[in-house]
Amino acid sequence: MLQLLLSGLAIGSIYGLIGMALAISFYVTRVINFAQGQMMMIAIMIVSALTAAGCSPWLAVVAGLLSACAVAILSYVLAVRPILAFDRFSFGWLVSTLGFAVVVENAAAYVWGPTSRAFPPILNATSVHISTAVLTEQQLLAIATAAVLTAGFEVVRKRTLFGKLGMAIAADPEMASAIGANTTAVAIVAFSISGLFSGVAGVLIGPSTFANPYLGDTFGTYGFIAMMIGGGTEKPAAAMFGGLLLGVMSEGANTLINSQASDWFPFVVLVVILIVSPRGLFSSGSLLRRLRPALLAR
Amino acid sequence: MAGKHGQLSLPGGTASGHFAHLWRARSFAFVIAYLALTFFLARSSLAVQGLALVAAVFGILAISLDLVAGMLGLYSLGQGGFFAIGAYLTTIVAADTQVSVFWLLPVVLVVTGLSGAIIGAMSLRVSGLYFAITTFVFTLVLTVLATDLPITGGLQGLLGPAFPDLPEALAPLGTPVVWCVMLALLVAIGLVWNIRRSPLYPVLLAIRDAEPFAEAAGVRTGLVKVGVFGLSAAMAGSAGWLFSFLGVVSPGQFDWSVSLNILVMVLVGGINTTLGPIVGASFVTMFPAVVNIDPWLQEILYGALSIIAITVFPEGVVGLLKRQFAAVFKAPTAGREATGSSETSRADTASQQPETSREGGPAAEAIVECRGIGFSYGQGPKVLRNVDLVVKRGHIHGLIGPNGSGKSTLANIIAGRLRPQAGTTHVKGVLVDRLAPSERAGLGLRRTFQAAQLVRELPTSRNVLVGLYGRVPGLVRRAAVWTLLPSAARDSASMQFRAEQALREVGAGDWIDSRVGDVPHGIEQLTQLASVGVAAPEIIVLDEPATGLSISEVDHLARLLGQLKARGVTMIIIEHQTRFLFPLCDQVTVLNAGEVVLTGTADEVRANPVVRQIYLGE
Repeated sequence: MLQLLLSGLAIGSIYGLIGMALAISFYVTRVINFAQGQMMMIAIMIVSALTAAGCSPWLAVVAGLLSACAVAILSYVLAVRPILAFDRFSFGWLVSTLGFAVVVENAAAYVWGPTSRAFPPILNATSVHISTAVLTEQQLLAIATAAVLTAGFEVVRKRTLFGKLGMAIAADPEMASAIGANTTAVAIVAFSISGLFSGVAGVLIGPSTFANPYLGDTFGTYGFIAMMIGGGTEKPAAAMFGGLLLGVMSEGANTLINSQASDWFPFVVLVVILIVSPRGLFSSGSLLRRLRPALLAR
Repeated sequence: MAGKHGQLSLPGGTASGHFAHLWRARSFAFVIAYLALTFFLARSSLAVQGLALVAAVFGILAISLDLVAGMLGLYSLGQGGFFAIGAYLTTIVAADTQVSVFWLLPVVLVVTGLSGAIIGAMSLRVSGLYFAITTFVFTLVLTVLATDLPITGGLQGLLGPAFPDLPEALAPLGTPVVWCVMLALLVAIGLVWNIRRSPLYPVLLAIRDAEPFAEAAGVRTGLVKVGVFGLSAAMAGSAGWLFSFLGVVSPGQFDWSVSLNILVMVLVGGINTTLGPIVGASFVTMFPAVVNIDPWLQEILYGALSIIAITVFPEGVVGLLKRQFAAVFKAPTAGREATGSSETSRADTASQQPETSREGGPAAEAIVECRGIGFSYGQGPKVLRNVDLVVKRGHIHGLIGPNGSGKSTLANIIAGRLRPQAGTTHVKGVLVDRLAPSERAGLGLRRTFQAAQLVRELPTSRNVLVGLYGRVPGLVRRAAVWTLLPSAARDSASMQFRAEQALREVGAGDWIDSRVGDVPHGIEQLTQLASVGVAAPEIIVLDEPATGLSISEVDHLARLLGQLKARGVTMIIIEHQTRFLFPLCDQVTVLNAGEVVLTGTADEVRANPVVRQIYLGE
């Protein structure tokens, strides 16, 4: 049971990181970036290609993270900004970010081929015993990194001027730019943070998935579910909790129902949660928050 | 009354009759050309047919999405799900029972239509992006079910039923399934084309852009949304029915990316246009076959092209063409006075008699009666405390008070947009506490909004048409076949005439063809007033009608309200400009901090020391 919980948290951290990445760019621009999973994929592919060429794994990781950020910024400049400049409420971004994802994915498949390639093990080779459970150090690293990044992001969002600027732009971009906020600069920073988060997720999961150009789709979808379950559209950190919940539940479904259950189980969870609380479990407008005054009053 | 309208509408009738001939000839030519194309296609090679049929099926899907996304602003990602239901239902039932596939079409339509209505009703709690996401989840779940249920054949899928052959005599027509698909596409095109030409169209756009306005005009917006969503789902289901004849039905053909792709088709082709979805569907489905290069390079090119298309033509290809044509053919509309001549408007009014005489009612009868109203927003402080308001029939009743005193809240309670926590409201003696705004509109109660709620992309006259909703029976029922019905043509002409007449009455006659987005603020306010007045209501609630108007526009408004009163209309007017309000009013109620200070004539109010202190600031 402990094993299940811990491996669930490890994979959940990955889902949560991608969910948060989606939520961060959504938070500032009200756009769901369908190319989010591709940023993770690019980080993995770059790390794999550089280590194959004889580069040190740590240097390759840095290069991978930077390239994920670059792809994120590129997606903003090419696919998001022109749409929002025309009409901030149109759904055109759906077409353009999806198109961007298609371009990135197929470019990767064209350059590196569609088959899986080796990925450096990083910390995957060593394992740790916690009571009855066995985890790799890589899994522990994933949980720790996710915790640090989530906490760090929340501190920046709530305590710094930059974070408050992001909140102001999220609430009303026109008003924010009227008081002198550079919405483009904030959006670019938010997108590069989202790229960084996806890249980190990629480096953390790479040793177990290996490098494949089609990884982006799967993990992008799980990240999206994590965001929706948690309610990350209102509060990015909520996406992390959604991801952890999703990770534990799909591990549980795999163990307790059957080995294919994680294919469909997360969707069922998502449906149930959206019916009960359309804005997610952990957001400010969520069911839990609304119930709290009633519970306290008792 | 109807006869009179008939006579009066003669000039307009002949003019629109001329246009009617023109577009009737044009649409006839379109249908002939379309059938010729189908004939050609039905006799062409199988490769061409396969390509065209997939494009046509997705054309139907894109049209079904455009119906809800373009006209109602509901970006559904559930179309792929309804598509899957239609295809699997046809395939499974046809394989198991040997029922003729034609009998399955009505079954598919009913099943998908009903599931659409249910999904719609469940998702309507949320709007915008959340609506897209909930419907998206529906599609995800269906894909997973299709993969994992034993009955659907798993990832391999099932082979669809064969389409029956034509009888021997009709064999020269070519492949029968081509005719079936192409005729279905024609029906889909005809359906949305008719809705666009029916008076339901401005109503749908009003639900999309200005829902409170539509509700106040008597539209049961939730019901209309669910109904249109059901229709759209049934269209997507019929596309699934057609798709099952084209080969194997497997989960990969309905996964979530299909629903997204349908939205891509609509957006690239041009949202809220009749032909845009088909252009988009042809582009997306034919691209891989037409551009025959390395598959990865091909995908890269496709992605790049869709980015370029949507950033360069944000309104889609057809949207762009439409705007270009409009710019060439439309005369400029600038350089007109904000208010029309009041002399002509008065003359018009003299010729226009009220539909029913309301002078007979006893002068002292209360028509709107609020007793003990208490209201607060959420957990906040009380906005209204034990408020009584009695409005007599035929009176103009002023409602004044400082900002935040609860005037607009009271207006919203009377109109039904807000539910008070305490107290009762009677309109015309009917207890209306449980009635929705649209039902109160049915009692003859209309309202205007402080910030005009109108469809900015439609002309003023089309906005005024929304006010006539509910005055024309069977409007929703007939919308899908509107242009084919002689009765509908009569109704269209008379509604358009009444709308234009109403605009002329308020003095906005020069702006009948201008889009609301292009008219000045004063005309926007007058359009609102016309959309209310056109329905000949008994009671009108006006929320700060004079805000932002120039002095001459305020005088003009005062005259209009006087004319309405002369016709026996009861009015409740919220206003800050007492100089405008007091001369009009029979009674004035003063609110302060959620409580009634005083109700009396304008003179009593003006003389009251408490009012002078709290309101006039002395």
